[in-house]
Amino acid sequence: MSKQHMIGVFDNEDDLLQAIRKLKEKRANIKDVFGPATNHDLIKAFTRESLLPFLAVLVAIGTIIGAFAFLYYTAVIDYPLRYGGKPLFSFPPMVVILFLLTILVTGGVSVMAFLGRVQLFPGKEPVMIDQRASDDRFYLVMDQNFNPTEVRQWILDAGALEVVDKEVDFSLKTIFL
Amino acid sequence: MISTNIDQTLVTGHKSYGQITGELLANTQGRPPLWWLVGVGLGGILLAIGGWSFYQTLSKGLGTWGLTNSVAWGWDIINFVWWIGIGHAGTAFTIFFLVFRQHWAGSINRSAEAMTVFAVMCAGLFPLIHMGRPWLAFFILPYPNTRLLWVNYNSPLFWDVLAISTYLIMSVTLWYLGMVPDLATIRDRTKNKIQRTIYGMFSLGWDGSLYTYNRYETLLKLLGGLAAPLVISVHTIVSLNLAVSVIPGWHATILPPYFFVGAIFSGFAMVLTLMILMTKAFSIKDYITEKHFDNIAHVLKYSSLLIGLAYATELFIAWYSGVEYEIYTFFRARASGSFSTAFWIMVIFNAIVPQVFWFKRARKSILSLFLVSIIINVGMWFERYVILVSSLAEDFLPSSWTGYQPTMVDIGIFVGTFGIFTLGMLFFVRFIPVIAINEVKPISRIGKEKTVKDSQDE
Repeated sequence: MSKQHMIGVFDNEDDLLQAIRKLKEKRANIKDVFGPATNHDLIKAFTRESLLPFLAVLVAIGTIIGAFAFLYYTAVIDYPLRYGGKPLFSFPPMVVILFLLTILVTGGVSVMAFLGRVQLFPGKEPVMIDQRASDDRFYLVMDQNFNPTEVRQWILDAGALEVVDKEVDFSLKTIFL
Repeated sequence: MISTNIDQTLVTGHKSYGQITGELLANTQGRPPLWWLVGVGLGGILLAIGGWSFYQTLSKGLGTWGLTNSVAWGWDIINFVWWIGIGHAGTAFTIFFLVFRQHWAGSINRSAEAMTVFAVMCAGLFPLIHMGRPWLAFFILPYPNTRLLWVNYNSPLFWDVLAISTYLIMSVTLWYLGMVPDLATIRDRTKNKIQRTIYGMFSLGWDGSLYTYNRYETLLKLLGGLAAPLVISVHTIVSLNLAVSVIPGWHATILPPYFFVGAIFSGFAMVLTLMILMTKAFSIKDYITEKHFDNIAHVLKYSSLLIGLAYATELFIAWYSGVEYEIYTFFRARASGSFSTAFWIMVIFNAIVPQVFWFKRARKSILSLFLVSIIINVGMWFERYVILVSSLAEDFLPSSWTGYQPTMVDIGIFVGTFGIFTLGMLFFVRFIPVIAINEVKPISRIGKEKTVKDSQDE
């Protein structure tokens, strides 16, 4: 579904940051921003922190408990086997294994969660404002606003090169269909 | 250790974003240069030698190697430890410098990580074929089986399997995720339809949305934080393979930190070698400047001091312990006996030669940087040789003492891993931007007064 959008074109992050701050202050609806690079200020002005670290902590705790249960079950309950007269269960070697498994599983789940949340997968058709969005231009895409002329002026005041109106399709598409 | 002024220009030449994209994509465009084709041919020959040796090992068995009853770990484990050591610098570069806010490392990350990935692949090959029957490698994993047995969790060999596979998976993930935006840049600029489809697949439909960037940065920081302890744990666990045993020369608590410093040392040396070759091959002098080489040389100088300290500590503790076997291994077998040549090569190449980097002229000259980086890697190979072979060949019982000679098959497999590494790096520099474009763009603005406007504006 293509829809008409007002797009502010910028060539650097500083002007873009000015524009985002102004628009946020005036409570205008920003759809999204596309660009080749980013920095912390830009992200902070635009959106809230990602919740991914909380998920990671939960997964890590789950992995530690699950892996510990598995190790204890296999080493002590299912087939108790003594190696060199050592105790069936000893904690120090478990630390190494739990440490590594936690990193592996947490890393894997975080990547999967990220890819799922932002809907990136092989064969996805990207939202394409312009080819230069991955080169040297920043595109500030505006949603429906009740005062388009004012919004246009704010964007231009912040230092946009131009403001264009263009149909952009934001629906999820793949190259397979 | 190293202080980088935050306002210092990190990318010289006052470039606009458009210019950076163009210059850094140059290596992926046009016809492949002659040196690249020659390199691929050479890598293919090395790989073929490795393939032949691999075939000999699999068809005839481990008897084709120079191993004996006493020296059960020879070139295979030496090369394994050597490659793992090299494979350390990539993640060290990405993570430690991210944590310490060393922005200058931003333009080296990508190549250092590529080096890590290929070096760890080469390393992983050795334990695999050392099993003799690599198709049964899954026996080392704990899974429900008809033998009703589980693996021995107390064995460092099992930890090693976990450590290396975790490290490989995490490095590949970090490396790949880091280049997704750059693959999207290639996809958007190429006119070739096949190229666009392939890069389109690998770039996962990346569109540079700021919402995506927000989560992406969080994810990279998270993965970085998770991978940072891995850098230390992998080589620590490799050293535990030796330290947990009771062989003189191995049974020491100094081994984990000693191996870790050695890994950082050889990894940085290899990064230096590759960076020098890359600045010669591509026009990326503005991104990888003299300052970068200077910083790496400083790291090498200090880690060389640490290595020297470790050698001295080992000798001192061997004497101080009063254990005759330890004293024999360190003072007779290593320092003055059958392995003295290798021992003194190790000391001179690792602990003494890199000290030339105290002189500014040595850090400025590309030739001296290149030579020292090669010398360090040779020296680090001899270090592993000394540690492994001298302890095994002459241990407690003189009646079981043997010498150790590698066979052609041993050498061939080592040569083959160079083939894997060379081909891997060559394909990397041909199809992927060698410098992370999306990382360099923000740091190119550090130290500039205002943004550079594109001169070819419409």
